[in-house]
Amino acid sequence: MRNVYSVKQVNSYIKNMFTQDFMLNRIYVKGEVSNCKYHTSGHIYFSLKDESGTLACIMFAGQRAGLTFRMREGQQVVVLGNITTYERDGKYQLYAREIILDGAGLLYEKFETLKKELEEMGMFAQEYKQPIPFYAKRIGIVTAPTGAAIQDIMNIVSRRNPYVQLILYPALVQGKDAPESIVKGIRTLEEKQVDLMIVGRGGGSIEDLWAFNEESVARAIFDCSIPIISAVGHETDITIADYVADLRAPTPSAAAELAVTEYSQLKEKMYDYEIQLKRSLRQIIAGKCTFLKQYEIRMKYLQPYNRLREQRQRLIGMEEKIRILMEKKLEKAKYEFSVRLENMKALSPLEKLSKGFGYVTKKGGTAIKSVKQVKINDTLKIELKDGTIYTKVTDRIEEEENGRENTGGSV
Amino acid sequence: MEERTLEEVFNQLDTVIQDMEREDISLEDSFHLYHKGMQMLKICNEKIDAVEKKMLILDGEGAEHEF
Repeated sequence: MRNVYSVKQVNSYIKNMFTQDFMLNRIYVKGEVSNCKYHTSGHIYFSLKDESGTLACIMFAGQRAGLTFRMREGQQVVVLGNITTYERDGKYQLYAREIILDGAGLLYEKFETLKKELEEMGMFAQEYKQPIPFYAKRIGIVTAPTGAAIQDIMNIVSRRNPYVQLILYPALVQGKDAPESIVKGIRTLEEKQVDLMIVGRGGGSIEDLWAFNEESVARAIFDCSIPIISAVGHETDITIADYVADLRAPTPSAAAELAVTEYSQLKEKMYDYEIQLKRSLRQIIAGKCTFLKQYEIRMKYLQPYNRLREQRQRLIGMEEKIRILMEKKLEKAKYEFSVRLENMKALSPLEKLSKGFGYVTKKGGTAIKSVKQVKINDTLKIELKDGTIYTKVTDRIEEEENGRENTGGSV
Repeated sequence: MEERTLEEVFNQLDTVIQDMEREDISLEDSFHLYHKGMQMLKICNEKIDAVEKKMLILDGEGAEHEF
């Protein structure tokens, strides 16, 4: 038990070996980028791989000037850096100082070639896209029966509308048999005459998603008579399947949201329709009732009884007018009569009689105005204010023409 | 009738309501339209078929099983 070392001692010994190695201090390594993560701190973690294995790499934020493009999965790159150990984990890794793109990565190149080819054939054209049905009652899903994708879809569909029928075709979604399995899934569900399909899988590396970049899958999607929503990986992963699908969803969850109309929303819409129908009918009936009332009022107005009453009213008015006019006339006549009466009174001889005059007549009622009318012994009638005297003429004296007074002739 | 999609029925309902909102509509027509609209809502309900569904999984022969 002489040579026992601590972990620290071993790790620093190994680190020292790496540091002293001239070649590892400045080395170019070529490989395909995989598991690339841009950390929020600015460091980039990734692996370089080839058919034999992988090499862990890191580029610190301070070295970012050595990277002039956005590194993506599958790219073929050459990395300059030094290899040393990370003592905490007891792992060695490549500390990158510079990264250059080594042509297009092989897979990337394949992707670009196929994309270009299919695009030229018009398979991505908008005019071939089928509309997603407003309400899909039966939705077919081509994905793996295990994994997050199908669980996410099930959860979202049952939350939004549990009355939608989901039919899963359990497909292989990675590996060399995946394309054939996906194609078979699409064809089987097409035969089942579902209303809509979701084809996809959860996230993974570009190799994991590769089946969705195969031409056979793209063609099956294009040829399918039923609308297909593609849902492959994460937001940033875009596959050929996404380009050719009728609608691309960034994730399987998003595909479920796009595929299923919310039940509550449908119910609300139907309820609104019902309310509108009922309100319209009520309004129409109310409108017709108003018309009816108006007719009623007009009819009443036009009724003969009303005309009669109106005429009668007019008659009463006329009667009243006549009465008033007559009364006025009478009043006036009365007034005039009283005026005349006063005048008559003023002119009455009775008035004069009360002042000592008398009215002398002889038999027969002839008024005596001259001495010549009487003879001696004629009986004369003298009317005074309060009575009548009969008298006999005892004498008569005729006056000269110039009218000297003579008292003996009268009373 | 069964051939119509839910969306088509909704569109027809829009038309029915538009017709009912016309000023010169007769009482008879409005009763007719109302009845028609209510019938359509019934069809909508039938189409939605509010029975919870279990997801089905297909086997190699395309037969359906419960998931």
